[in-house]
Amino acid sequence: MQGVLLSCEYGVTVAERPKDKDEVWAARDLLARLETREKFFVLDVRNREDFKKFRLEGRIPVPAVNVPYFEMLELGGKDEMLDSVVAYVKRDLAEKLPSDLPILAVCAKGDTSEFVAQALRRSGYASANLKGGMKAWGEYYASRAVVEGPDLSIYQVSRPARGCLSYIVASAGKAIVIDPLRHLHPYLDLAGGSGLTIESVIDTHGHADHISGGPALAARTGASYYLHPYDAIHPMDVLPATIPYEFIREGQTFPAGRHVLQALHIPGHTLGMVALRLDDNYLFTGDSIFIRSIARPDLGGKAETWAPLHARSLWKLLGLPGGMTVLPGHFSSLDEADETGRFAASLDDLKQRNDGLAVLQRESLEGFVRYLLESLPKFIPEYVEIKRVNAGLLKPEEDEAATLELGKNVCALSQGYVASGGGRQ
Amino acid sequence: MSQAFDKLLDARGLNCPMPLVNARKEIGKLELGQVLKVMATDRGSIADFQGWAKVAKNMQLVAQETESTEGANVYVHYVKRTA
Repeated sequence: MQGVLLSCEYGVTVAERPKDKDEVWAARDLLARLETREKFFVLDVRNREDFKKFRLEGRIPVPAVNVPYFEMLELGGKDEMLDSVVAYVKRDLAEKLPSDLPILAVCAKGDTSEFVAQALRRSGYASANLKGGMKAWGEYYASRAVVEGPDLSIYQVSRPARGCLSYIVASAGKAIVIDPLRHLHPYLDLAGGSGLTIESVIDTHGHADHISGGPALAARTGASYYLHPYDAIHPMDVLPATIPYEFIREGQTFPAGRHVLQALHIPGHTLGMVALRLDDNYLFTGDSIFIRSIARPDLGGKAETWAPLHARSLWKLLGLPGGMTVLPGHFSSLDEADETGRFAASLDDLKQRNDGLAVLQRESLEGFVRYLLESLPKFIPEYVEIKRVNAGLLKPEEDEAATLELGKNVCALSQGYVASGGGRQ
Repeated sequence: MSQAFDKLLDARGLNCPMPLVNARKEIGKLELGQVLKVMATDRGSIADFQGWAKVAKNMQLVAQETESTEGANVYVHYVKRTA
């Protein structure tokens, strides 16, 4: 099971291996289990709001029950946490817990759930604690090579809990980082470990769902930070960014050893969205084409105006060589990965199986725009704030930043649309 | 704007669930109507004390405050014994 993960992975809790892996799962152990469809049950003891906002999801559904720890303590009725949980489990939870699956105890930071895991074991269940809780899981990064060689390496650096993907393109000892996420250690460690100098940092667009690590990574490494100027204006505030950045132009090239990365302006998800093509082989699509779905056009508050632009941009991408490997900026489910765990597929393949591209190719422009507007997920108010942070208009403290980013990204359209009927399943 | 209280529980530096577990023990030692002031540094304690107050039968959450001392936030909860 562990063999699926490459050795280069990064988490916030990398320090030591747990003594007994069955009783304490670090974030990386959890990811391996989620990726290999291992069956287990979750007892999540956070408050109900946090559970609703952010829960564990795998390649297959993860069965879970949520009982806040303070309810177990109060209703269990004992002075000590451990005794209360044992009493509560025996009286109120026995019917809800499976006896044939391991039970993972989950809380916010991993301390309370340790009591719960112990109480479950004392009650006769096989139980483990999620080390560091949902905080550690939310801040865990994994990295996989898409291609690795002396001439060219591409690493896909993911934040699995949030469904965010970023990339390191390396050639001839130099690296370009695309869409780096908020924590810099995965990029600095990987570059340091491979003797790479980070020369350029590129954001494919002004992100709404997560805080970009771009400006900070550029400042830290002396690299240049690039952004399309249209995305250096906050779309709601109509205020210019205060972060230092260099303009990306349509067609602009970035040398990567013997290879060339070229920017393609594809407005739609944002006005300044760019895709990056590496020769005729790889296409970093940012938030345009994902594996199973396509990006939503409404996060700038101008869905009706931007939807037709989005359609035109997607057609522009579909005109590229079909053998190119698409490397997207997000996933909505771990199940979008191929069997090696990589989120990648050829453009020709996606023309056949991507929900949004299927509608694009089948419908008129009007029909496609209607599909976009009818498939918009709920608007997330935090996204307006996150765009302010990414433009340098707001500077949150660490705990505020973590709160803004809580939960999985919602940058893709909703799934389950029935195109011909114009409604949702 | 400080709230009156009868007993102080300093749970600063303690991780979840200890601020709440200890507060629950202390409430049992109060007279009816007396107020316990709990100081905690765990930010999660704000939502947790609110959730706890909804299920607990012998207490009421009277007030919550965030104090900032030396750059660090302290989350203060006032809990009254009601039964």
